[in-house]
Amino acid sequence: MALFPLSSNFEGDFVLQLVPVDDEITMDEVAAACAEHSVNRRVRPQAGKVMRVRRHTDGEIFARDMLVKDSGLMPTETIDIIWE
Amino acid sequence: MGILDRSEYYDLTRTTNWSPSYVTEDELYPESMSGSRGIPMEKWEAFDEPYKVAYGEYVMTQREKDSGAYSVKAALERSNFVENADPGWVSTLKAHYGAIAVPEYAAMTGEARMARFSKAPGNRNMAVYGMMDETRHGQIQLYFPHEHTDKSRQWDWAHKAMHTNEWGALAARHFFDDMMMTRDAISVSIMLTFAFETGFTNMQFLGLAADAAEAGDHTFANLISSIQTDEARHAQQGGPNLKILLENGMKEDAQRMIDVSFWRSWKLFSVLTGPMMDYYTPLEHRAQSFKEFMQEWIIGQFERQIHDIGLDTPWYWDEFVRALDETHHGMHLGVWYWRPTVWWNPAAGVSPDERDWLEEKYPGWNDSWGSCWDVIIDNLVDGKPELTGPATLPMICNMSNIPIVGTPGPGWNVKDYPLEHNGRLYHFGSGPDRWCFEQEPERYQGHLSFIDRFLAGQIQPMDLNGGLAYMGLSPGEMGDDAHDYAWVAHYQTEQRAAS
Repeated sequence: MALFPLSSNFEGDFVLQLVPVDDEITMDEVAAACAEHSVNRRVRPQAGKVMRVRRHTDGEIFARDMLVKDSGLMPTETIDIIWE
Repeated sequence: MGILDRSEYYDLTRTTNWSPSYVTEDELYPESMSGSRGIPMEKWEAFDEPYKVAYGEYVMTQREKDSGAYSVKAALERSNFVENADPGWVSTLKAHYGAIAVPEYAAMTGEARMARFSKAPGNRNMAVYGMMDETRHGQIQLYFPHEHTDKSRQWDWAHKAMHTNEWGALAARHFFDDMMMTRDAISVSIMLTFAFETGFTNMQFLGLAADAAEAGDHTFANLISSIQTDEARHAQQGGPNLKILLENGMKEDAQRMIDVSFWRSWKLFSVLTGPMMDYYTPLEHRAQSFKEFMQEWIIGQFERQIHDIGLDTPWYWDEFVRALDETHHGMHLGVWYWRPTVWWNPAAGVSPDERDWLEEKYPGWNDSWGSCWDVIIDNLVDGKPELTGPATLPMICNMSNIPIVGTPGPGWNVKDYPLEHNGRLYHFGSGPDRWCFEQEPERYQGHLSFIDRFLAGQIQPMDLNGGLAYMGLSPGEMGDDAHDYAWVAHYQTEQRAAS
């Protein structure tokens, strides 16, 4: 277990935010951690939709159960959180 | 003894140059300080400033300027303008003084570099006046807010801000250190006086003076107009040096300096002046929108000056024009959301009438920026203020050192411009920010943004309180909503009427 800082780019929000996560959590858990800092703060929730994590630079959408430590992401790399 | 008319001696004295005999020319003017770029001395002696002044005239004029500004202040002190002014306008004053006053002293150092090391004698002469100008600006902009320090500790930040690690102060210092503290004399003349002062101080000191006059703040309007008359003179040091560079085949170098400095200036003004003009200034006193000021002063005037000199419009001009509809709205929303991290009380500026004005000036504002503010307003109406303040940090651009923002809502376009350099991942808020870094990576690569410092463990404890302590912000200094959320009442009434 290690703290892994990510840059969250949440769909519909206006700013990139620092979100430190554990490197052994899944992408669904990453999305939830990022949502804490955007949804119901500046972005309305979207009922019935799933949040997915996408690599910002090349658009690769990560499997929902992929662990952060297996994703190849660099510390502080920006990820998009998009509604699907 | 008769006094010679200025025209009879000026050209001789302003071109008088040293003929060193005990040291070499290179020892007298080290290249790293003078920046003569191999252009011979006689070429620099052709420096011809368009605005000519002799010392006696300078002293007489400056005395009159100071007398005017200080007299207006003294006469209006009893009117208690600040006590009765709109809190949004008071925030404009606090933000301005903290961001500008102490950097004026730094600007004096930049002028001193030209006064000592420029190979152009005319440049050295003008820069002496510039040094005295900047000293005056530092003194007067510390003296004017000082009378208010008994009202709130935030006023003390006129002097304190630049001596802290507050994020805005870090951004301002990074910019000013780059433009005027760590460059050779010729670069300072171009990056500070031509790009920053000709291009942008007009915005802060004339545009904001128009808003101040509209708001009835004649003390501040007189003060900053007085400062701008100095800026208009000493900003003209860059033009003649640009002419010499271009005549000697240095256009590429000159263009690069303009492009770097202009973009960096724009980003700083997007977080400082943009929110002041479009959100803090009371609606009825707004002379023009920030975008309209930018279009008039920057696009209308500065671009023409660039062309007149023989330079090109910066390569990123389309992106700059596009960003006039975007960047400062994001900076404002960020400053308001992270309001404990600034030394003034940001005015939200999003009452129904103000939103109508924003929609008129920036069509589509309600769908984009308004979508974020709608959620914030709902939380305030529903009694959930804890959701309207920071729980983490925004990512910070490694060039501008301000948050990385974009347009929210249906047209969501927020983008990071990352760069991996020497094993470190840097983040930038735009292509031009990253381009600036790439011009001289060795100049910028060692700097740590607020986020870098946080992740390096320099900020303890690693939470909001640790961050605020690192920034030097104590209770009574950290910002809160300028109007104490009174503007939310409009929306509470609307909600009650709807339910």
